[in-house]
Amino acid sequence: MTAASGKSWPRMTSREEFRFLSDLVFTRSSADQTMVRLHDHHAGTTRFANNQVVQNVDTRRGLLSVNVAFDGRHGTASTTDFTAGAIQDAVMRAERIARVSPVDPEYLPPPDPCAFPMRATVKSETVGAGPARRLEYTNEAISQCRMENLMAAGVVSSSMTVVGIAANNGLFGYEHRGDARYSLTVQAGDATGWSAAAHRSIDHLKVQERTLAAIKKAKSGRDVQELSEGTYPVILEPAAVAGLWAWLIRSLDAKSYAKGTSPVAGKLGRHIVDERLSLRNSPDHPDLLGEGFTPDGLPSIASVWVDHGVLRQLAHSRFTAKTDGVDPIPTLEAPALSVEGLPVASIQDLVKSAERAILVTNFWYIRPVNDRNLVLTGMTRDGTFLVEKGEVVSAVKNFRFHESPLTAFQQVEAWTRPMEAVNSETGKMLVPAMALPRFTFSSVTRF
Amino acid sequence: MSSPTWDEFAELALKRITASGAEYGDIRIQDSHTEQIDGEDRRIASIRDTQDIGFGIRVLYHGAWGFAASSILSLEEVPRVADLAVEIAKGSASVALEKVRLAQEPVHRDRVVTPYRIDPFSVALEKKTDLLLTTMETLHRQSGVARSSASLWARRDRKLFVSSEGTHVEFDLLAGQGDCTATALYESRFASRSFNTPHLRQGYELIEDADLQREASRVAAQAVEKVKAPVVDAGQYDLVLDPEHLSLTIHESCGHPSELDRALGYEANYAGTSFLTTEKLGSFRYGSSHVNLVADNTESDTLAATGYDDDGVSCQKWDVIRDGIFVGYCTNREVALKIGATRSRGSNRADGWGSVPIVRIANIGLEPGSATVDQLIADVKRGIYIEGHGSYSIDQRRYNFQFGGDAFWLIEHGRRTHMLRDVIYHGITPEFWRSCDGVADRSARRRYGFITCGKGQPGQSGWMTHAASTARFRQVQVIRGEGQS
Repeated sequence: MTAASGKSWPRMTSREEFRFLSDLVFTRSSADQTMVRLHDHHAGTTRFANNQVVQNVDTRRGLLSVNVAFDGRHGTASTTDFTAGAIQDAVMRAERIARVSPVDPEYLPPPDPCAFPMRATVKSETVGAGPARRLEYTNEAISQCRMENLMAAGVVSSSMTVVGIAANNGLFGYEHRGDARYSLTVQAGDATGWSAAAHRSIDHLKVQERTLAAIKKAKSGRDVQELSEGTYPVILEPAAVAGLWAWLIRSLDAKSYAKGTSPVAGKLGRHIVDERLSLRNSPDHPDLLGEGFTPDGLPSIASVWVDHGVLRQLAHSRFTAKTDGVDPIPTLEAPALSVEGLPVASIQDLVKSAERAILVTNFWYIRPVNDRNLVLTGMTRDGTFLVEKGEVVSAVKNFRFHESPLTAFQQVEAWTRPMEAVNSETGKMLVPAMALPRFTFSSVTRF
Repeated sequence: MSSPTWDEFAELALKRITASGAEYGDIRIQDSHTEQIDGEDRRIASIRDTQDIGFGIRVLYHGAWGFAASSILSLEEVPRVADLAVEIAKGSASVALEKVRLAQEPVHRDRVVTPYRIDPFSVALEKKTDLLLTTMETLHRQSGVARSSASLWARRDRKLFVSSEGTHVEFDLLAGQGDCTATALYESRFASRSFNTPHLRQGYELIEDADLQREASRVAAQAVEKVKAPVVDAGQYDLVLDPEHLSLTIHESCGHPSELDRALGYEANYAGTSFLTTEKLGSFRYGSSHVNLVADNTESDTLAATGYDDDGVSCQKWDVIRDGIFVGYCTNREVALKIGATRSRGSNRADGWGSVPIVRIANIGLEPGSATVDQLIADVKRGIYIEGHGSYSIDQRRYNFQFGGDAFWLIEHGRRTHMLRDVIYHGITPEFWRSCDGVADRSARRRYGFITCGKGQPGQSGWMTHAASTARFRQVQVIRGEGQS
């Protein structure tokens, strides 16, 4: 295969074509309000395991969704078939639903037209990367592992998505979004090491650097001891921090807050975490996956959610925002967590400054245990180590944790600058690695 | 000019694949129609009707896979995608160390149709929204209930599978489900209680037979009782687990470890591997002699009983755990040969036309025993009876698990007494199943399905059903779910 394989990428729906399709919908629709959403997605993934390619796929799916409303009665129908007949059918299905639906007291007409921010959401090198480029990175990872007599399992993927939104009040948005992802699990007997990346640019996946990091983790995990469950100081690497904060972010739903069924109920404007921690939406950050607009047709905007430990924002639907007088509605698709004060230079420096701590590479299968106080459980994974007197002394068997981020992040002892973090259960974030004084591990597994 | 038939598209694709020199190829053309109605807090929040049509082509070239798929079903796109699948397979072949071989399977020509009494897509929408609104009103009639939700889901999959070996199977499959949830507030606490019909391959009769109003009254009252219930005291308890709860326990602690691709390392980077490694097959004591777990992809109504899998292999029934010993994996045509099997178990499924099929958990169920549920409870001095699903988490080799539940009752001296809240139990999979000392008889057997089983990269949602009768487990570690134990 050659780089020319990129030519096999299909032509995506253009701005003019989306305008034509949405106008076609508006022409066919008899509803008071009509909204059209386009999600035209093309992605390829090369998956490998046991130092071999086990899956190599390319999928293109275009989806057009039509939402119509008559007097507050609304319905949605979608289709992957963009022919005129299929679109007509989607409009009819949406209208049929809307006409017999009960009035929805929370329905709001489409937002007013506005100029969405223009963001660098697509990179030509990612668009041009096809199976050949993915295979090149795959080979790099496998080769490094083979040289060390280790087993590699992972994925290299690249995708391009055309997203559009239009309404019969003149609202119109159209955006190309691309991303590339790499993740690698290195197996050294029973030990594993892991690293992952996601970026708009496939050139920024840092495949070699991350491969070497995963190899180092796996090799360091060969000599393992078992510690008892209990409360330990911890050093959480960025992926582990992101895993916990992803659940905290999910708990910020405004309706649950108003109904009293949120773990942060009553805490808006109050400290919820260490007063040096701030969480922002940074859609223009080049290392985050910022977007121009939301599926609701709202501009994504920079905003502060947690300011010096104080909860400042909730996640609003357009209805709760109207009820609560929130305007503009903050979005959080590009989360960046930071700590005020002087960071240490690296995770290694966090290790050096620890008397005794558990170093956690990543968490896995995080799930809520108690929605009232956001106690979560999950497992450590792919590199868990005992640190004593500033040095990693051994790997330890993986722990199950039982902890609330609302408790764990009350006190941050040391931290790095924010770093890129992504794992299989969270979106891309910028977060520091952190040393926390107390973290509860409730049981130990067999490896 | 009439548009080509699906068979004509399939023939076009397979001609390209065969001409390329590939040793194997198949095409799946699928039209999935989904209706999802969601109610929340006494309103119909959304009704979505989704039509998802497309095709996926899989090619095995010189022992390596390629797959390409598209939602544009046209005379121009089918050959483009077929050629792309071949090109990708050639790329895979260029770096292959070990060639993929496929276990033999007879050629099948068949048509599989889900039997049903009432087509869910023919039921008037007003009837469905009325049902959900009435259900939510019933939930709110219970004093203390602050929030409600109710939903209905139905899906029809029309699919054609054609392989270069000559297998040709048409599918017309239905599935449905309904549920409701009450959330009660008390002091500063809240707690939820749900009723779920199983996800099954049935028509709308599944919903009509469920009596949502009666169930809504029950779960609303139990939500209020639950939020006021005392917190469990941590310690060791005997557990009596109902079939709905067990369906998740079986899924996580037996289903996933018995997927052979996991055991062989294919999922090491995401879903994980398995403690049920291949040398344990036939000898490892997974559970007590009461534990018989059977994979049955032939049982009518169940999600994985699709007649044939996405390898074109006919669905089968086999033992996974027999008298407590691990004896069988879920396999596909690729991995079956790696443990010396001569035929795939037929557990290779994709979640749609755009996904490549991967090994999936079968309909694994716990075989009934001989006791009654009352007898199981009667022999418990201090225990907990658990219904439904709650918090769940398990490590990537499926050893260390932790489960909550939807409702808990304290058992004292052989009697189910009052509700508890915040019950969490944890353990190590084989130790837990070895502590099983009784399974209720067939009269207690129920089936529950899953449609969101996450696996694969890109991620896919797997479908399968787990049946069980109520079962008892001795001296399991229970902790409080409200914070540090």
